[in-house]
Amino acid sequence: MSLKNVNYVESGISMTLKARCWRLRAFMTKHHRNKEFKMDNTAYPALNELFVFLNTTLTNISIFYSRIPGSGILLKYIKNSHQNDPFRTVLEVMLLVFGIIYLYKNKYRTDNSFIELTPKEIEDLVEEWQPDPLLPKITEEQKRELDKVPIINGSTGPRVKLMNGKTVMNLGNFDFLGFSINEHLKEKAIETLRHYGVGSCGPPGFYGTIDVHTEFERTLSEFLGTEGTILYSQGFSTIGSAIPSFCKRGDIIVADEGCNFAIQKGIQISRSSIKWYKHNDMKDLEKILQKIKDEDIETGRRLTRRFIVTEGIFENYGDISPLPKLIELKKKFKYRLILDETFSIGTLGKRGAGLTDYFDVNPQEVDMIVGSMCHALHSSGGFCSGSFEITDYQRISGPAYVFSAALPAMLAVCATESLLHLSRNPYLPATILSNTKSFKNALSHVKYIKVEGSLDSPIFHLRLNDDVIKVDSSDEKDKLLQEIVDEAMNNGILLTRAKYLRSQEIFDVEPSIRICITASFTKKEIEKAASTIKNVVNKVLKNKIR
Amino acid sequence: MVQHRSRSFILEEKSASYDETLDQSALPNLNSNWVYNKGAWFIHIIIILIVKTLFSIIPKVSSETSWTLTNLSYMLGSFVMFHWVKGVPFDFNSGAYDNLTLWEQIDNGAQFTPAKKYLTAVPIGLFLLSTHYTHYDAFTFLVNFTFLIIVLIAKLPQLHKVRLFGINRL
Repeated sequence: MSLKNVNYVESGISMTLKARCWRLRAFMTKHHRNKEFKMDNTAYPALNELFVFLNTTLTNISIFYSRIPGSGILLKYIKNSHQNDPFRTVLEVMLLVFGIIYLYKNKYRTDNSFIELTPKEIEDLVEEWQPDPLLPKITEEQKRELDKVPIINGSTGPRVKLMNGKTVMNLGNFDFLGFSINEHLKEKAIETLRHYGVGSCGPPGFYGTIDVHTEFERTLSEFLGTEGTILYSQGFSTIGSAIPSFCKRGDIIVADEGCNFAIQKGIQISRSSIKWYKHNDMKDLEKILQKIKDEDIETGRRLTRRFIVTEGIFENYGDISPLPKLIELKKKFKYRLILDETFSIGTLGKRGAGLTDYFDVNPQEVDMIVGSMCHALHSSGGFCSGSFEITDYQRISGPAYVFSAALPAMLAVCATESLLHLSRNPYLPATILSNTKSFKNALSHVKYIKVEGSLDSPIFHLRLNDDVIKVDSSDEKDKLLQEIVDEAMNNGILLTRAKYLRSQEIFDVEPSIRICITASFTKKEIEKAASTIKNVVNKVLKNKIR
Repeated sequence: MVQHRSRSFILEEKSASYDETLDQSALPNLNSNWVYNKGAWFIHIIIILIVKTLFSIIPKVSSETSWTLTNLSYMLGSFVMFHWVKGVPFDFNSGAYDNLTLWEQIDNGAQFTPAKKYLTAVPIGLFLLSTHYTHYDAFTFLVNFTFLIIVLIAKLPQLHKVRLFGINRL
């Protein structure tokens, strides 16, 4: 077989591969049969043999291939796709190989949290499981705590009768306006109870709303000077529902470190990214707002909803937010302001309309005024007041509004009546103010304790003065404060320590005694109470000096 | 939201926080579960056929152009739907999937699952078919091939939660 012959075979490009194979086979067998297997070029017999071997192998492979059913179609496909461009074919083959490898890979998980258990392991775990007791055993500390809880015989009010028959002055009562002893309110409540029954029998969206609810909403809007109000049925969950109905993941909340537990929970549920500023520190707030603005420019991130959340009177500190400065900052940096007026409603301002009244600010400058009727209004439930858009949006998106039963009619009527009563008696907030001032003035010279909070705030805390008292751990402080509370009770004054769920508070709060000054007492009574507390404090803390 | 890996161009999304995992498991992910619904696989083929027919019936459009347009629309469409748009259109999981594309949400991020294999095979098959039925010149071939490669790269398990060059990061 000459090289020429080989070339002849090679040059048959125009023939189909199959036809070529057949021809080659015929050619080879003929030469085999005639035993004319001699090379022209005898100088490289080994090379020639290699050519022959290669050719025969290739031929055999193509013969074998042509016998596979359907091989013709594939061949035709490749030939069509090939289009005289081997590079293209190579790419396509690589693509096909990639596809096949991908299809044959085994599934795997990317989240490491999932642990696959064998049936035996599952059975073992079920066997091992012991149910927790429905009521966990109380610890010694809890027992001590429970023993110290005073039990009131009868209804609560400015003066309460204890189980041991003693009548004491109640300074732990949130009833700032003294509505708990108001006979008119009681009559109204009973009247409503007879007319409407006890419960509301459904969430506000499903037959729960009745005329008294809308009446309260209207009265409160008028009282505060806002466009609209939405009535919630629990005070605590109001802010925890109002915040997450507007703030979602990715939104930014800038909040005061001193915010109360309800606000902390509301912010946590909203899943927004949260930045805390130092308690009532407007410089720090401005710094943080500026930092967020700089980050916006630096990263070019999407603009999301932004809120500043703070309290009117801080439950944990008893000081007042500087509202004008907050409004200035919120306008400068384009934020919305959520103000929790739980303790300031009914107590601050000339009319008792809260922080906006106190600073004489237009209430429509504050985007959401959230508050509760549990305290000064001496009823139950909460409200969120603001523009129509803000309040109406919560009627379908506020979880506590949508999913819980509406406020009982008598409580709504009580709240409305309290508001009306407050507007008819504008001297009440002024009485609270003067009582607070005289109480604080009387206590200001006690060196063992610090009287915290603003002079105008009727709720404030007595905290141990660390410069003078040598007690370090908060447990020890709690014990000392409890001693003061007990001693005060012996002297006819009911006080309470501020109690926290410490494991869930985001920031540590110093142990304290929380005092609420109400309008039910005369100046003389208040001064007497202050001097009693002063004596008790001096007596208990005298031996604990550094 | 994004973790930087030693100044490289590979930016990785942070793994889910406790809150996020909590919200993700609160409800099944209704946004990605549909890939296993009845007809969810077949609809790809139907859409491709419809698109191809639409492009073919336009007068004076050559078979190359109509195949290229079909290819591009499917690749672009699937890229936008599976690899660009992030999060869930409805408020099912309080935004716990806001940082993840639909591809990353499918099967809770597991790789080489049936749906993912199918959705990878479709563009490859479409491309091979189109090259078979046409005589692409170098340019059209390159355009088709590039788009296919972009779609395939986005589907690679190595690129799970990875934002190359910070593309589509925010």
